[in-house]
Amino acid sequence: MSFLVQRSDVGEFRQRYRWLVLVAVVAFGILIGRLAQLQLVEGDVHRAQARRNIVRERSLATTRGVIRDAYGRVLAANRPSYAVHITPSVIDMETTWPRVLKVVSLDEFERAALEKKIQEIKALPKDDKRRGQQILLKVDVDRDVVAFLETHERELDGVEVTPSPVRYYPYGELGAHAVGYMREVDAEALEHLDDRGYRAGDHIGAVGIERRWESYLRGQRGWRKIVRGLSHRENTAEVEAKYLEEPRRLEPVPGRDISLTIDIDLVASVERGMRGQLAGAVVVVDVRTGRILAAVSKPSFDPNVVSGGNGVKAVRDAFRRLNADPLKPTLDKTISAAYPPGSTYKPFTALAALADRLTDPDREVDCHGGYEYGKRFFRCTGVHRKVNLHSAIVQSCNTYFYELGSRVSIDRLAAIGLDFGFGVKTGIGVNPEARGRMPTRSWYTRRYKEAFRGGFTLLSAIGQGATTVTVLQLALSYAALANGGTLYQPQVVRSIETSDGTVVQDFPPRVRRMVELDQDHLAMVKNALTGVVNERGGTAYKERIAGVDMAGKSGTAQVSHVTPRGVDPDKVWYFNRDHAWFAGYSPAKAPEIAVVVIIEHGGGGGKNAAPVAFRVVRDWDKMKEKRLAVPAPSPPAKHGNP
Amino acid sequence: MLGERISFRRGPMVDMPLLLGVVAILTLGLVNLYSATSVYIDDNSRARLADIYVSQIYWIVVGALFAILVAAIDYRHFERIAPVLYVGGMVSLGLVFILGRDIRGSSRWIQLGSFAFQPSEFMKILLILMIAKFIHNDSRTEPRSLLDLAPAAALTIFPVAAVMAQPDLGTSLIYALTVFSMLAMMRVRVLSVVTLIGSAAVSLPLAWMYVMRDYQKHRITSFLNPEADKTGTGWHALQSQTAIGNGQLTGEGFMQGTQNQFGFLPEQYSDFPFAVFSEDWGFVGTVVLIGLYGFVCIWAIHIASQAKDRFGAALAVGVGAMLFWHAVFNIGMAAGVLPVVGITLPLFSYGGSSVVTMLIGLGLLMNVSMRR
Repeated sequence: MSFLVQRSDVGEFRQRYRWLVLVAVVAFGILIGRLAQLQLVEGDVHRAQARRNIVRERSLATTRGVIRDAYGRVLAANRPSYAVHITPSVIDMETTWPRVLKVVSLDEFERAALEKKIQEIKALPKDDKRRGQQILLKVDVDRDVVAFLETHERELDGVEVTPSPVRYYPYGELGAHAVGYMREVDAEALEHLDDRGYRAGDHIGAVGIERRWESYLRGQRGWRKIVRGLSHRENTAEVEAKYLEEPRRLEPVPGRDISLTIDIDLVASVERGMRGQLAGAVVVVDVRTGRILAAVSKPSFDPNVVSGGNGVKAVRDAFRRLNADPLKPTLDKTISAAYPPGSTYKPFTALAALADRLTDPDREVDCHGGYEYGKRFFRCTGVHRKVNLHSAIVQSCNTYFYELGSRVSIDRLAAIGLDFGFGVKTGIGVNPEARGRMPTRSWYTRRYKEAFRGGFTLLSAIGQGATTVTVLQLALSYAALANGGTLYQPQVVRSIETSDGTVVQDFPPRVRRMVELDQDHLAMVKNALTGVVNERGGTAYKERIAGVDMAGKSGTAQVSHVTPRGVDPDKVWYFNRDHAWFAGYSPAKAPEIAVVVIIEHGGGGGKNAAPVAFRVVRDWDKMKEKRLAVPAPSPPAKHGNP
Repeated sequence: MLGERISFRRGPMVDMPLLLGVVAILTLGLVNLYSATSVYIDDNSRARLADIYVSQIYWIVVGALFAILVAAIDYRHFERIAPVLYVGGMVSLGLVFILGRDIRGSSRWIQLGSFAFQPSEFMKILLILMIAKFIHNDSRTEPRSLLDLAPAAALTIFPVAAVMAQPDLGTSLIYALTVFSMLAMMRVRVLSVVTLIGSAAVSLPLAWMYVMRDYQKHRITSFLNPEADKTGTGWHALQSQTAIGNGQLTGEGFMQGTQNQFGFLPEQYSDFPFAVFSEDWGFVGTVVLIGLYGFVCIWAIHIASQAKDRFGAALAVGVGAMLFWHAVFNIGMAAGVLPVVGITLPLFSYGGSSVVTMLIGLGLLMNVSMRR
């Protein structure tokens, strides 16, 4: 046994055992203390976190409200489409990502860009708000991809298929400026829109009704909770019942539908009337309510394309083309642009002079083809010989109005303009509005270094000089002439409805102002306006259409000879041509609608713009006849027309 | 002579409390391993993992056979062959560098036929035996100087360095702590202790700068600030704490812990079995489990105090310390009070080398207990 160790002295260790036991007890005691803290004290916090880990919220798409015209025809609706979003902070790059790539085809560049973006977000500190954000993987994915992703949604954590319907405009270019179009929310906008629930790939109204009524049209996304990673289990329902807290689902709220005052048939008729013209605008307004029946800006664009209906690339191409076009197709020329009104302003000059008793309607002025004022000679369109107020309007004699301009102050002309709604925004609230300008003496003083000259007033009197108006303003002012002096608030949205058709809000016509007018003076002016179309020698007489009962005033507005930038020198002649105007109402005796037409660089107003207006009125009459059989939805009695 | 060498004459033949304690831990460990890997049952790509509890049973059987074997041979024989075993262990550690299989950036394994083993695990026992022999031979009673402890330090440095180089921070830590615990049995001069602490204070920053690998440093920093690294190591630690806390008082129930069942504990069968257990069984379960580890550790000290010689006492303390440090570090890292260094939970974590090593150690402990 000698090779085995013998009993040796273990006394040295004796006093150490107690210490070892103590160390063990203290160490395990500390661990138990820590576990008590985690499991008992903070247990609820950790359980909540554990639940958050396994529960995912999937959003339920809402449907954007439909936009209809005055007769219920759909102007903007939705076409089903699906987008795939990923949540970078959640997605597993080793398992989930390759599976997703297998079904969603991406090119090399897209993939690299997305992966970079994902890694960037994954690298953000935990408390960064942007960590939770989702990024768009692909829009308009195929149905079978959607089916695959939805079947496997519980395995593919951080991947989400969202229905994102594409906006569809059945009438295409018709009324596109008023209805508007959609654009994808860009990253920059997303940062401040995030709180309102917008996500990458969402579309938001870009212009027109789509933009101004975005909050109504949009609706609210819903969500439902799911337990992630469950697909390989049989008892999905059971497990979800166990782990999901109520409410497990919040239904989406569909957006409100919007009914417009616009009559798309009338818009189509305007479009037909404007065929052959390059650029211009037409507004048709109901003189009894101020409701816009048609608003057309030419050239137009296809809102389906610019809203992304044909893909993102098509949108880029379309905008490149639209922005390069010197005719400015994206500009809403009915509201956003101001033009010199030219002779269409003469009725207001006449009313101002009559109101101030500065002239007698029968007093005659001899037109020799112009008017000498100071050292300058102000040209007329022709030699009219002896003209009184009536014939001056009918024949559009400038000399007569230059002479009036020498009697009236420029501030008086501006004042009557303001009375009729010029120089201020109408508040239609569709697209950005141009204010137009009613120049006053002080405006000229501020604008020009040299002293105010009486000649400015002469130009104002014939709607030239610094005076500018929008097509809409002119339409509303002619409506006011037609209805005896009631200036309406322009109205384009008739009512708001829920998706099931219940009217939520109905907008009655609103009077903006009653213009103080001597009815005799007005009758004289209106009589002259009737003469423009119906009397031999009237500026629009030659273009009249039999059976069309209309009164109005033509205008030929001189354009300041400034070549727009980027215009081919060979085409400058076009941009130096005058604008052709026609503003009128129909029927002449008991007016219902006011029509204003401008044809940019269209030449003479009576020859070029008036026929458009006549054709629109003719079509309007036809439509009215047709509707007598099926009466149009009349406004509720309480909002009865004045 | 054989009859004397394998001698069961004195006292109870088997240390029943030790046996029962170990069997209880093994049973809970197996049940828990089943729960931990049940998450892979229907996962086609990783279904193999759902069956590792079966291999764990095989390893337990193998380990138990080894344990009976080492328990049967009088432990004093091990004192004699300890240097041979130690050198053999060092050689196999060296072989790792030549034949090692690279797993997750570190080579710790040697492939033998169809299965791989981890020499660094077995080295734990061999080191304990070697240090126990050193303590046994140094039987003076007056306090020792640092120089007297130098041989022990040297014996430890080699395996620590070899394992650090694999690199495997956790195992080298276990070596050092186990040896330290054993040496703590001996009387050492106060001045020496002070010097030791001082030099440790100096060498730790040096080790940080020159010895530790980036991923090891990363584990420490992410332990100190787990929020900063939510996807890597720190993320594991946070998810583990969530799992433990989610257990609350009585647990979610067997195979019901969501943190595990939904894949938030990626190393649940090796590094984080405790989190799985806590989530399934709650505070009640964890107290029972820690109680069992505590009991076995204290029982090992009890066995040491009953040992008839310095070798047996040191051996018992060594095995107890090994068990203790494993348990404390693994539970500590799961509970977020210690950094994640990849130390297994004895008899709970999956792994042949680990289980067999633990059972051999416990066999030696049984051996000492049977021959007091």
